[in-house]
Amino acid sequence: MTMTETNPGPAPDSGQTWSRYGATGAATRHATLLAVLVFLGYSLHFLNVDLSRLLGTFSGVWRVVSDRYYPPEIAYVANAGYLGAILDTLQMSFLGGFIGVVCAIPLAWFSAWNVTPSRRILFPLGRLGVISSRAIHETIWTILFVSILGFGMLAGVSALTMFCIGFAGKLFADEIEAVDMGPVEAMRSAGASDLQVFVWAVVPQVRVAFTGIAIYTWDVAFRAATVVGFFGGGGMGWYLKRNIQQLENTKVSAIILSIIAMVLIAEVFSGWVRARVNRAK
Amino acid sequence: MASLDIDIGRVEGQRALVRQRHLKMAAIWAVVFAFLAWCFHGTIIQDTDWSRIGGANGVLGSLGRFLALDFSLLPELVIPTIETFMVACVGTVLGCFFSLPVAWFGAANVTPNRFFFYPAGRFLMVLSRSVHEIIWALIFVSAVGLGALPGILAIAMRSVGFISKITAEAIENIDKKPVEAIRAVGGNDFQVMYYGILPQIYPVVLATVIFEWDINIRRSAVMGLVGAGGLGLTFFRQMNSFNYGGVTMVILAILLLIVLGEVLSHFLRKAVI
Repeated sequence: MTMTETNPGPAPDSGQTWSRYGATGAATRHATLLAVLVFLGYSLHFLNVDLSRLLGTFSGVWRVVSDRYYPPEIAYVANAGYLGAILDTLQMSFLGGFIGVVCAIPLAWFSAWNVTPSRRILFPLGRLGVISSRAIHETIWTILFVSILGFGMLAGVSALTMFCIGFAGKLFADEIEAVDMGPVEAMRSAGASDLQVFVWAVVPQVRVAFTGIAIYTWDVAFRAATVVGFFGGGGMGWYLKRNIQQLENTKVSAIILSIIAMVLIAEVFSGWVRARVNRAK
Repeated sequence: MASLDIDIGRVEGQRALVRQRHLKMAAIWAVVFAFLAWCFHGTIIQDTDWSRIGGANGVLGSLGRFLALDFSLLPELVIPTIETFMVACVGTVLGCFFSLPVAWFGAANVTPNRFFFYPAGRFLMVLSRSVHEIIWALIFVSAVGLGALPGILAIAMRSVGFISKITAEAIENIDKKPVEAIRAVGGNDFQVMYYGILPQIYPVVLATVIFEWDINIRRSAVMGLVGAGGLGLTFFRQMNSFNYGGVTMVILAILLLIVLGEVLSHFLRKAVI
């Protein structure tokens, strides 16, 4: 980590005090800080946020949780129907993650400036594809797909696919842009086509990183898959939605706890697999 | 002759190793594809009612409804867009404040107590990241009621995990020499923190916060779906009144906001690093 540049300060006998920034630097910094504070204050005013409510928030959360959500009804999440929903969530996240990663690889290739087949047409198209699937939140994708394809896991899988294209596409493209250009130029000068350059000069360099990113994408997709059901995409989220609407608060808290537990298991598992992949490279 | 024999032996050994590796890769792919087939069977074949979707025409028909843009919604989109942006900003700043103690507890070299505060800090980081923002928003809506506040709190809580994790790692990786130098000339704990640690972690932390802010704009756009205001609420209303052209307008507004955030964060990151 590098230290930020500092000014050398006055000579030891000049009688001035040392300061990290020069006069103009300090003025800009203070002005920026002031502008940010004014903007935040105005935002709170504009959003009509009552700061006194903020102070009571955490005691409020505590009161609500201990009154209504405690004790969690663990028996509810241990029945076969709910365990099936957990499996559904797993299936959706795996399928969505896989299709998303498969679609993300060509998009990342198009949207990496150094090896893109055409900088005029495919580069902006690839960028647009990745940015727009990233820009729309997975819950909005779910709602859109539910309105087109109907309730169920197909909509959830489609939404997760879009989410994973955006997530993995950006990471893949960053990884491709950081490759060593030596092999790429060697192959180009030997007359290789763009596809050949990608397959034989780029892929061998990014293979391990791509595997790691793909596993991480599944992990994040699983996290997202726990809530797509909330908007009609199937899986655990659907149980959450139903019990919230029926005000079955103790069941809701059990479901939330089970979601946290599943996400933790997925995170530990993906971390373990990624560590193994990195060791085996 | 002897050396040639050894070489042949090594080549054979390497071939066997390569073959073994290929077999292992084939086994991994076989497992992945078997799992994939099971997932495909469960989701796409068993769970989907294809007759109800109505083939390609049905899908194209439902897609077509989204294309009739509803420009009359335009004036109603301005205020929610600004609100969404503000919720993201305030939520990120609040998340930074929440991250301070968590990062302090969770950094192994400065934590007040290794056996209590360190695991507590690490646990809070994991908890914040493993609960989806929609669930955080549901919790806060039920605790503080509707409005922008639950959205801000949900975004803040969700940001804590990533910001404090990176900050704690940055604190763990600092160069100890400036810290010792300040101690040696008689600096107190606060001075050590302010002059020794802060300048070293500040570029990393700021870059992380800008990155998180960029993501938080996306998140704050959906807070309205569970009752926390902004563009999500407009989206929800348009969807529930089956005004698909209006839905597309809301999505375009979100895209505009995201592109703005992306451009802004690009310049901010350049200014910081």
